[in-house]
Amino acid sequence: MEEQLETRELVVLEGSGVFLRGTLHKASRQDAESKTGLTERDRVGIVFLNSLSIPRASTGDSAVYWADAFAACGYPSFRFDLPGLGDTPGILATNLLDFINGGGYAAITSAKMKELVERFDLSGVVIVGHCAGVVTAVHAATSCKECKGLILMDPYFHLTKALRPKIRQILSEWARRSRIGGAISDIYDRMRDIRRTVQKGPLPKNANFPLLAHWKRVASTGLPILMFKAPGLKSPGMKPRLGEFDYLEYTLALAGHKGRVEVEFIEGTDHSFADRVGRVAVRQRATIWLSEFFPPLGLQKAAQEVPSLEDRAGDGKTEGSQLYAPPLRFEKGTETTTWM
Amino acid sequence: MLSQPHLDKRFSERAGYFPISGEHLYTVLHEVEDPVGRVLLVGPFASERHKSYIPWVRWARYLADRQIEVLRYDYRGIGESTGVFEQMTFDDWMEDVRELSNWLRKRSPDVPLVLHGLELGALLAGRTFNDGVGDALLLWSPPLNANQALRRTLLRWVGLEQIFQCPDERKPASQHIRQLEMGDNLDVEGYCWSPDLWRSSFAIEMPESIVDGDIATAVYKRPVEIVTLGREASPLVKGGSVGYDEAKDFTWLFDANFGWIASALAVYGGH
Repeated sequence: MEEQLETRELVVLEGSGVFLRGTLHKASRQDAESKTGLTERDRVGIVFLNSLSIPRASTGDSAVYWADAFAACGYPSFRFDLPGLGDTPGILATNLLDFINGGGYAAITSAKMKELVERFDLSGVVIVGHCAGVVTAVHAATSCKECKGLILMDPYFHLTKALRPKIRQILSEWARRSRIGGAISDIYDRMRDIRRTVQKGPLPKNANFPLLAHWKRVASTGLPILMFKAPGLKSPGMKPRLGEFDYLEYTLALAGHKGRVEVEFIEGTDHSFADRVGRVAVRQRATIWLSEFFPPLGLQKAAQEVPSLEDRAGDGKTEGSQLYAPPLRFEKGTETTTWM
Repeated sequence: MLSQPHLDKRFSERAGYFPISGEHLYTVLHEVEDPVGRVLLVGPFASERHKSYIPWVRWARYLADRQIEVLRYDYRGIGESTGVFEQMTFDDWMEDVRELSNWLRKRSPDVPLVLHGLELGALLAGRTFNDGVGDALLLWSPPLNANQALRRTLLRWVGLEQIFQCPDERKPASQHIRQLEMGDNLDVEGYCWSPDLWRSSFAIEMPESIVDGDIATAVYKRPVEIVTLGREASPLVKGGSVGYDEAKDFTWLFDANFGWIASALAVYGGH
């Protein structure tokens, strides 16, 4: 058995007696590296976190695909299993979803990012979170000066319930499957929309307030953030389903004038981004974004100048703007990308 | 609340890459000193791997804690193993089982080797056992053939897909199956199923003798146990609620099956 291959290495972070198992996708060593004299120490590492309970390969092994792609572009990329998940030992919270939604993995993630940066001589890390992984990434970023950027995939900012009352499940199922049910569901959505318009302003009761507070701390200080959004049920574009609170708009507003948040809507994929359309779109857009904020070689100095959270929270010297990159349109089954 | 145990010195888990036909299988050896037996875990297929991973790993640790050395792995082209999924065949995955069985056996040939498979992994383990590999066989929810396993995965995926689609966009499973039969690839939960995978799955059948544990034990003269897992065993098998079932207590299942493994090993003088 070998512990490393030409392009991959199995790694264990064991600082403070806490084990974390993961895989390193080694950055490709291009000619430019020898010319500039820069080494791993000058690079930003990309770190993938678990999406809820899924092992570090992620749905359809999409995280493996992205980590390979980013490594090929010169970014050492890491995929870790958090305690109790995948191959990492640990006792799982009985209610894993609530545990993650409460930022339960943030402290260990933050500590391990520090350990990772020291061990691999990185200039910092970009944390990639998907779904519940977003919650961990945002929470961790507030206490992690090593975090230089975030890639967030299909984030949610409310407290989700995996277990819904049986009657609601039956009604939802009926609404999905029957045309009459669908029509009633549309009326229900309109009524909710009217109520929301009338009540305008307050966040829904099930908003994840601590997460939103962490988001504000992170995003409003200029940390580069790339957000991917997939089509949802009855919400084919950037806007939420009729009657639902527009968290995207709200979080972008929270980021304020210093925020450097880019949002990409990927049409034709699903929540996992693991299908061909989704994985190619994420790879292409994230690669562009990374090269813009964290140039892989030679221009790394610019990336290193992205201020830490403490610095960002200071006098606000770093200028930034709320960015809305044009959404990508992908043709299903091809790798063609067109800018709308 | 989550707590993180310090490294337990009683057992160690060694992750590594096993070279095979130009690719590398990701393996985790749950190593124990002086094992009374060894178990090769042959897990479920592709997307099912992710759902069942946590209890599957816990099962490996449970056995290792009881002096049984365990090797678990990812199929070629899946998870942490290298290779391109759509280029893999059932023959490749059978070869994975054979080669790892041989490797595990060679660690100390006098220690009995148990093959244990779950769902599609049960089929691969059963066929390998039929070829004379292994001293005992434990199967959890084996399908009759590989197509049955693929079909179950497909049906569940179609059901999930439909949740996010308008009624007009929904395709029934039969339409997806037709797509495969017509020679087109199908993307199922991030895995590209090829028409060849679908076609060849019909021929990958469980050996006739392995339909009942007692009959198989009599035929092979080696212990065989077949267990059908119900929904209470989710997420080891399909069903349940993501985010709530992962930490479920599987002692009832593990104890019973460990009991069987212990009795099977006793035949060979272990335990």
